[in-house]
Amino acid sequence: MGELLAQAWTVARKDLVLEFRTRTALVSAIVFTALVLTVFNFGRDPTAVPTIDLAPTILWVTFTFAAMLALNRAFQLELENQALEGLLVSPLSRTSLYWGKLIANLVFVAVVEAVGLPLFVLFFDVPVGHVLVPLIGVIALATLGFVAVGTLFSALVIRTRFAELLLVVILLPFLVPPLIGAVQVTARLLGGRPLSESVGYLKLLAAYDIVFVSLASFLFRFTVDE
Amino acid sequence: MGLAPAMSDVPQNAGYMVAAYVVTAVILVVYAVSLYRRTNTP
Amino acid sequence: MSLTQKGRWITVVALVCLAAVYVRALAFTPVERLQGPAQKIFYLHVPAAIWTETAMILVGLAGIFYLFLKDPRLDRFAEASAEVGTVFATIVLTTGPIWGKPIWGTWWTWDARLTSTLLLFFLYVGYLLVRGAVRDPVLRARYAAVLGICGMCLVPFIHMSVFLFRTLHPQPIILKPSAPSLPSSMLVTWLFSLAAFTLLYVGFVTQRYALSLVRDAHGGARPGHV
Repeated sequence: MGELLAQAWTVARKDLVLEFRTRTALVSAIVFTALVLTVFNFGRDPTAVPTIDLAPTILWVTFTFAAMLALNRAFQLELENQALEGLLVSPLSRTSLYWGKLIANLVFVAVVEAVGLPLFVLFFDVPVGHVLVPLIGVIALATLGFVAVGTLFSALVIRTRFAELLLVVILLPFLVPPLIGAVQVTARLLGGRPLSESVGYLKLLAAYDIVFVSLASFLFRFTVDE
Repeated sequence: MGLAPAMSDVPQNAGYMVAAYVVTAVILVVYAVSLYRRTNTP
Repeated sequence: MSLTQKGRWITVVALVCLAAVYVRALAFTPVERLQGPAQKIFYLHVPAAIWTETAMILVGLAGIFYLFLKDPRLDRFAEASAEVGTVFATIVLTTGPIWGKPIWGTWWTWDARLTSTLLLFFLYVGYLLVRGAVRDPVLRARYAAVLGICGMCLVPFIHMSVFLFRTLHPQPIILKPSAPSLPSSMLVTWLFSLAAFTLLYVGFVTQRYALSLVRDAHGGARPGHV
């Protein structure tokens, strides 16, 4: 187990070092997030619909885009550096390879979300202080689900034609159930509803994460092995 | 006077029923024909 | 009799059975009081929906067995089941709105069955696109198996999330196009229809399977099978 984590961390660190050395992708993703939030502002009539009603949707559409960007970035990294081939030759286990990629992707998305959430609060004047901890919890749960499946599918499409497009198309159905959970819980949190009302959705998110993280880490070897 | 027919209660939407039945038949027949033709000329 | 011919015969029998179902449903099954004749769409819509979902589960199961047994017949079956599943999904997604319009007054509602089938449809399309994008037959079979397994595992989450989502949204005010507690003559019609759709599935899949067999024999034979 320790071995797995150590190997995973090696893989993750390599990706993250590459990433933070140039920072281009990260900065682009953050700017993109800010732009999306800005566009949302102009896409609505604040006098007609109170912000609080749209807030969960705005937040989650933005975060979904951010996660898709992160996954595409990871994919680009592979192509440019042919890192995957190099890793496969090494004695790293396939499972730790998956976990390494998952961790790297999660860190990337987490940074983007960490900037996106305060921006969201600022732009839409949505008070989140009183529910910050559960909100971060929901964001973490849903993001883990998106990225777990996305990391597997990134490896799957890498050798196909129109890979980036294919990634989005095959991933989207998988994003819907956690998205439903995330939006509903966020809506309840922002609306000041007690956490007990969100229990069903939270269970859904947790179950999704458990199932798909395990499934993806198991199936990963079939996408990379010869 | 007290025996108003119940028939008038039932919505008159048979057109939709026909449309759905036709659409289903079309989809299935088109697919069956497509399979037939594809398996004829490999 | 070759596999193709067997498939054709089964399909012909299935279509005849379906014609019989049509006659029975349209002429010899009572009209439902509240919904009127449009309710009879139910006899086609629900069996198609059942097979849309079953076909996806079979694609997933075939995928699991393929990853362990590497038998190309399993991959061929999965390919066939996916294509036929897509056809049935199309039936559900067209008859659904046609049923919804007179009953609910709107062409589309995000009701549980329609939404689930829409997501299944996207899963199928993604699956078929991935198959189309990979040249090498072994790689294609493996990638398809991975995606198929994930798709199959998504099905319960689709149900769970859509169910949770629906229970909080106002139900259609007038009526729901679900099964009224079925009197026996309606139930019999429905069962006949289910049988017809089952035969259609078998006939179509057999033919589609035979098609892959022929294609493989002519060029790019899957390894392990001439």
